[in-house]
Parts: sequence; C-alpha cells; structure tokens
Amino acid sequence: MSLQDWVFALHLVAAATLVGGLVMSWIFVVALRTVEEPDLTLNLSRVAMVATGAIVVGLPSVIGLGIWLAILRPQLRPWHGWAIAAIVLWAIAAAAVSRSFIEYAKSTRKARELMASRQFGPSSELRALNRTSTGLLFRAVASAAIVLIVVDMIYKPGA
Amino acid sequence: MLAAIRPAGQDLPVLLHIVGATLAFGGLLASVSAIAFARGQVRLLRLGYFSLLLVVLPGWALMWLAGEWIYHKQGWNGLPGQLKHETWLQIGFVVGDYLGLLFLLTLLIGGIGIFRLRSGKGGTGLLNATMVGAVVIALGYVVAVWAMTGKPGQPSAAAAPVSGAQAGTPAATVNVVATEFKFTLSRQQVPNGRVLFTVVNRGKIAHDFSIGGRTTPLITPGKRAELTVTLAAGRFFYLCTVPGHANAGMKGMLTVK
Repeated sequence: MSLQDWVFALHLVAAATLVGGLVMSWIFVVALRTVEEPDLTLNLSRVAMVATGAIVVGLPSVIGLGIWLAILRPQLRPWHGWAIAAIVLWAIAAAAVSRSFIEYAKSTRKARELMASRQFGPSSELRALNRTSTGLLFRAVASAAIVLIVVDMIYKPGA
Repeated sequence: MLAAIRPAGQDLPVLLHIVGATLAFGGLLASVSAIAFARGQVRLLRLGYFSLLLVVLPGWALMWLAGEWIYHKQGWNGLPGQLKHETWLQIGFVVGDYLGLLFLLTLLIGGIGIFRLRSGKGGTGLLNATMVGAVVIALGYVVAVWAMTGKPGQPSAAAAPVSGAQAGTPAATVNVVATEFKFTLSRQQVPNGRVLFTVVNRGKIAHDFSIGGRTTPLITPGKRAELTVTLAAGRFFYLCTVPGHANAGMKGMLTVK
C-alpha cells in the first residue's frame, strides 16, 4: 500500500468514526428523551461521551486527511466545486454539533446538581432539559450536513 | 471508495452500502458502550441490546445487500477466478458473511439475556457476552473499512511505473490507450511469444491493464506503463482491474496465433 492508499484508508476510517459517532449519539439522544431521573441521565451522558469522543476525533481527522488526499491525488483538487461544498458542509456540521453538545451539557449539569442536593427522584425540569428541542435541532442540522457530505463525496457533482 | 470516481450507475449501491455500514458501526459502538457502562442498570442493558436489534441489524442487512449489488454491478462474478479472489474483497466477504453470522449469534444470546432479565432470572452475564461479540464485530468492521479502501494486494498508483520488463526483443508490441471506460489496442492479434504492451492512460482517472495473469501498476492520467508478458497461442482476456471498470467496458479479448 502506498502513502496515498494509507491516507485514503485513514480518511475513510475517520469518516466511519465520525458517522458512527453521530449514529451512536442519536441513539442516546432518543433514549434520553424519556429519562427524568438524575442518575440515569448521568449514566447516559457518560455513555454518550464515547459518541462525543468519536465525533471530536472524527471531525478534524476526516477534513485533514481529505485535504491531504486531494493534494496527493492528481485527479482530485481541494478547489473543485464538490470539494469546496464538502468543506463548507463540514464547517456547518462542526458548528452545529458543537452547539448541540452545549445544549445537552445543560441536562448533565442539572443532573449533577440534583444528585449533589440528594434529589434522586424524577424531575420535570431535568426531563425538559433532556428533551431540548434546540439541541435536537442542532444535532439534526449536523447530521443533515454530514449526510450531504457523504452524498457529495460519492456522486462528486462536476468531477 | 468515497474518493474514487466510478462508472455511472454505481453511486447508489455504494451510497447504500456506506449508509448501512455506518449505521451498523454506530449501533455497535452504542451497544458496547451502553452495556459496558450499565453497571447493572436495566434500562442501559436494554438500550445496548435494542441498539443491536433495531440499528445494527437493519444497517448490516443494508450493507450486505448493497455490497452484493455492487459485486454484481461491477461484474466481479464474471471475472476470471484469480481476479475475483482479490485479498481486499475476501476480507470484505469474511467480515460481511462470517462476522454477520457471529452477529446473529450475538443477537440471539443477547435476546436470551433480555428475556432472563425481564423474568428476573439474571441475564447480565449473557448481555456481557453480547458486548464481547459486538466488540469483535466492531474491530472486524474497522479492518474491513481499511481493506475496502486501502485494497491491499492491488497494484498501487504510487508503485514503480514499469512492470514485467524482461531482457530481449519482444515478438510483438501492442500500444494500448486507456480512457473512460474502454481500451483501444493497436492490434487485436499477435504472434505467440513475448509481447510488450505499452499502456497510456488518456483518461481522467487512474486505470491499469491486466492480461495473462500480469497487471501494470495503476496508471494515473497522462502517464504510461509497460508490461511484457509471454503468451502462448490462444485467446487472452484483458481488463482494467479497478473495481467496476471492466464491467463498464474496459475489457476484451486478444488473439495470440
């Protein structure tokens, strides 16, 4: 395998990590919507950290390796229309996913506060935070952007 | 796979294959994490199992079906034996088929675990076994992504530009022009003995040229490669081994007298 092949393989592994992390985060976002107990909220957020980690590692790796690949391969160029579209969509996804993390961090903070004040029972306030529509909206925007990147990468309009 | 430019008509199966694979991978990671962090919490154990059942299973099925679609669309089933047994393709089949069976077994064990959990007879141990199975499958998945994209065993674009060159004068020289997606050969018939193929890529994407069990390295646009092959009298199938290219038209038959 040449350097190009390795960069390509790692680019795809990074993409799989990112999209896999996103799929995983959706599973926890959906599961969190019915949760109102602080201990379960904290446990779910602990598990969701794996998804967050995958997204945090995947996002910069995929763009870095993708640009490197476009420089290495003569038939691909970072200034081609489809490549620029992918970079713009990546920026939108990165911004939306960061904003979504901030929203969901609020419920984790609240759960910690409740646990600290020894309120272990169901909390309507916590349930409302777990069902945050802003967080859900930003997560949906990030996911839509990532899906569009995958479609753009496969169909390569104009290439 | 993503960074490649493919013949028309293969994009949809590739998209579905990738969507299925990433759904399966995300579900596997979710399942492993939920069971690992459950610490006996039933809802998390259930979440781990249902991630496998409701996310990984449909994702795996989509990946597998779209993979078969790509296999037939790219014409792998119509290629000579040694070409359709590429290492990277075999790795894909091992992961898709054998780990698929392991996945079904994992799902069954997890299902029994969930049933026992519901009826208050334990089940945590079975769900931990499910988690171990999911970890093995997730690791296999990473190997498959590497194999599908890096394609170990295939000639590399960055490899040496000339292969098969031997001393002595060839019995014939054939100039081959590769474009998307066809080969144009300067002659369709050659005398038996050593034949020199001079392959020029006038297309926009990389191609190779394979005949008589020998293959040039991947030739990037505008570049050339030479391949010397000793051919006995008969008919020889030639093709581009880049997935999908032969099926799109980059193949033919050379007669050796």
